[in-house]
Amino acid sequence: MSSGNGGRPAIFEAEGIVKQFGGIRAVNGATMHVEEKSITALIGPNGAGKTTFFNLITGFYRPDAGRAVFAGREIQGRPPYVIANLGMVRTFQITKALARMPVIDNMMLAAPDQPGENLANVIFRPFSWRKREAEVREQAMELLDSFNLARLADEYAGTLSGGQRKLLELARALMARPRFLLLDEPMAGINPTLGRRLLDHMQRLRAEEGVTFLFIEHDMEVVMNHSDRVIVMAEGKVIADGEPHEVRQDKTVIDAYLGGAVVSQ
Amino acid sequence: MEAGALAVRRDRNTSERFADLVNRLNTLPYIVKAGAGIVLLDLVLLIADRFPDGGGEWLLFALIFAATIAALVPFEGRAVPIAAIVLVNVAATLILLHSLHDVAQRGINGLSLGSIYALAGVGLTLVYGILKLVNFAHGDFLAFGAYMAYIVNVTWGGPLILGILLAIVATAALGIALEKGMFAPMRRKGAGVLQLLLMTLALGFVIRYTIQFIWSTELRQLDVNRSAAVELPGDLRIGRISLIIVIVGIVTLVATGLMLRLTMLGKQMRALSDNIDLAETSGINTSRVILYTWIFAAGLAGLAGVFYGASTQLQPEMGFELLLPIFAAVVLGGIGNAFGALTAGLVLGVVIEWSTLFMASGLKFVVGFAILIIVLVIRPEGIFGRARTV
Amino acid sequence: MTELLPLVPVGVTFDAFTDIDFWISVGILAGIYTIFALGLQLNVGFTGIQNFGQVGFMAIAAYSMAILTTTPDGGEGINFWISLPLSVLITIGFALLVGLPSLRLRADYFAIATIALAESVRLIALNARGLTNGAQGIFGFDRSWDDFTDGIRDFIVDIGWTDVPNIFPLFLVTWVLAIGLTIALSRMQRTPWGRVLRAIREDEDAARALGKNAFSYKLQSLALSATLAAIAGFLFVINIKFVVPDSFLPIVTFTGYAVLILGGLANYWGVAVGSIILWTILEGLRFMDLPLEETQIAALRFILLNLTLILLLAFRPQGILGKREEMVLGE
Repeated sequence: MSSGNGGRPAIFEAEGIVKQFGGIRAVNGATMHVEEKSITALIGPNGAGKTTFFNLITGFYRPDAGRAVFAGREIQGRPPYVIANLGMVRTFQITKALARMPVIDNMMLAAPDQPGENLANVIFRPFSWRKREAEVREQAMELLDSFNLARLADEYAGTLSGGQRKLLELARALMARPRFLLLDEPMAGINPTLGRRLLDHMQRLRAEEGVTFLFIEHDMEVVMNHSDRVIVMAEGKVIADGEPHEVRQDKTVIDAYLGGAVVSQ
Repeated sequence: MEAGALAVRRDRNTSERFADLVNRLNTLPYIVKAGAGIVLLDLVLLIADRFPDGGGEWLLFALIFAATIAALVPFEGRAVPIAAIVLVNVAATLILLHSLHDVAQRGINGLSLGSIYALAGVGLTLVYGILKLVNFAHGDFLAFGAYMAYIVNVTWGGPLILGILLAIVATAALGIALEKGMFAPMRRKGAGVLQLLLMTLALGFVIRYTIQFIWSTELRQLDVNRSAAVELPGDLRIGRISLIIVIVGIVTLVATGLMLRLTMLGKQMRALSDNIDLAETSGINTSRVILYTWIFAAGLAGLAGVFYGASTQLQPEMGFELLLPIFAAVVLGGIGNAFGALTAGLVLGVVIEWSTLFMASGLKFVVGFAILIIVLVIRPEGIFGRARTV
Repeated sequence: MTELLPLVPVGVTFDAFTDIDFWISVGILAGIYTIFALGLQLNVGFTGIQNFGQVGFMAIAAYSMAILTTTPDGGEGINFWISLPLSVLITIGFALLVGLPSLRLRADYFAIATIALAESVRLIALNARGLTNGAQGIFGFDRSWDDFTDGIRDFIVDIGWTDVPNIFPLFLVTWVLAIGLTIALSRMQRTPWGRVLRAIREDEDAARALGKNAFSYKLQSLALSATLAAIAGFLFVINIKFVVPDSFLPIVTFTGYAVLILGGLANYWGVAVGSIILWTILEGLRFMDLPLEETQIAALRFILLNLTLILLLAFRPQGILGKREEMVLGE
């Protein structure tokens, strides 16, 4: 099932993650690892438990059983903000742009280590955070610029188009200085050109900043041609894990998809 | 700038250590947690018993403390047997501290109060189940019904039974008017949770102050014989009014249960409660079912109001006074669950009356609130509700 | 000079001595409710938590102050000026105790829980006669305050206005505080801290996914709001010279919400506007010359107020100064 641990250390490992809702086991013993600085795709038929798995490892759900380790620390059951602060940041399937706040605020919110977010500082040391705030604003504008969103900085995020929101979501996640970025269907609902740009960003970030990516995707072209490794989930378990061409030919995977898109590449 | 370089930051601050402690507490075997909870509860009862006068403030401190501790130790296992065991434990402790007779007598008194809570709670929970609307004016529906009965029974001198009929009909009419005039239009506009909540609150005040406008704040009584009592075996007594309330209440509630289970309307109501969009697409006339729900809920509220007025007295504030215990019954029983509201209402009435054994009777409603808060904190889905996942 | 005791919510009628005295007392109420509702605005408009127990915090603060400053036999306890910060600390402690278990509840459950808690506070105050003197209440806590206001009044007389009404110093203090707190809150809103709060209101999960401890921020918001309620509470009981349980009925919280609805959500300056308008109308209605009894006129005022609110909520939920998007439609 699992290909050899190619030479790169694992930045993330999950072991036997289980989650039950009522009578249904949405995730039934998922075990996998993600190599550092890799771009790994997580695929599987609908209902396989991929988004639930994301929610479990990022702290939005509490696993009933199992272990998750990120950069050497156990994170199962920890709350989302702790996991995010450790450098493991996720985006959402349906973008969560903070609609009634300007784009620039959306961005600046995500920056870590802001003394101005501390109430005591705000009340008692009102000038101590101005410097960092200016830094954060500059970084935010730079990042917006690299995504071609700089001109929208003062617009309310709610007025952005679907594709722009996806980019904002990604840019915002990057403001958080993640080591490990989990993207839930980043290509969904955006046009191919924009999608291409997103993929280029991912490659660049991996190369320049050493960010690891794990993304859920349904678009097989993207998965096959732009990921280093593919992990396949079905019925709450990981059923395959390897390089794209290996996985494409794996019989269990083909069965899981009932002879669907995987083969037609 | 190296990504993630700042990741190892604020390693173990206080809130993380706190969270770790909570996690470790969670992993204790269930029997230990349950045992600790029971011991705590019994200690609270014992302490409360030591301070019969003005012990209320200590009791509340202890209850809130217990609730906070309990909130940190998630409830697992099956809620119904656990609730039953806790109830038995409370009863046993009280019997030990007082006498079987006292506990039984207060329990009987409590059944009457409980029937009123159950009647009102079923209506409130049905409306919530279908419309996802918490009707903060529901208590004032009860007051409205009570005063309607007053008109017939006292102002016109008619028999109480006619008063009850008018109360039911008038309150149901009020429900219809509100649904058509206010709730349906607001739903069509896509009104938000806070908006509707505030509207029902304002509505409650309008009803309350209209009652005050017409009848002033003077305490009024219905024309009933409050002192007649019926002797029961074991040297127990029940007021005639209370007996009627319990009997009529239970009969009405059983009839309601049967209606929900067996009739077409009942099934449709349950369908809407489960998934209103699905019900709509499967051809059910949702606005008609919603209307019937309001008629039903308001009618029950009117009836409950007359009963409450008959067993105590009428004043404009009576609605709000009742609202929170009714909420407690609804939440305890699982919001949206009519059977739950019924059971929880009865249980709540009994427990509230039991509390008068060791607390000033002015404080008995605090017990209701305490139970409400504890339930919200430990298990918001109530005893009979399905557990939340997140 | 007549002792002015406002009708709401104690239920004692007052005598309008001169026009200006009446309107100054209205102004005091408006100022007190501004401070009270600033806390609600912080909670509802900027953090997204539906705090319906604000009057409970007011009660805790007022009672703490009164209990600390007086002794049961009518003597003097702790110094008034020291009792104020102490009471605020007690109130904050209570807010944290309340918030810890209840802030993770859904919006409507949180509303119910907070109403229940506030009512519990009132009922305990009513029944714990040993501590709070029950329905009779506590008085005599304002001796130091009176000295202070005498000082202010002397100062005002010195600078020329010899006919200054008795209650004017309270009016002055109330509005200085109201405006000062409005400015302070507005400035706090424009900080990174304020940004996190707004994000929590917009989408709590998004904020959490970006590393913000939403629960902690909500607690902070609640504690701050409780502090504002405490300040309003002090002024409130100083105004009527008594601390009685009946002053802390749920309608006080709801009137606070009425102020928010009038002035608009997510707008601190709107709170003062809403409060002034509300109290002007509410008290102005007192002068309706109708052949009705006292309690009936009182009832009528509230009926009109609440009907207006229902209409506002239905047709202009954003209030006078609010933006349409702020009052969440279709949430």
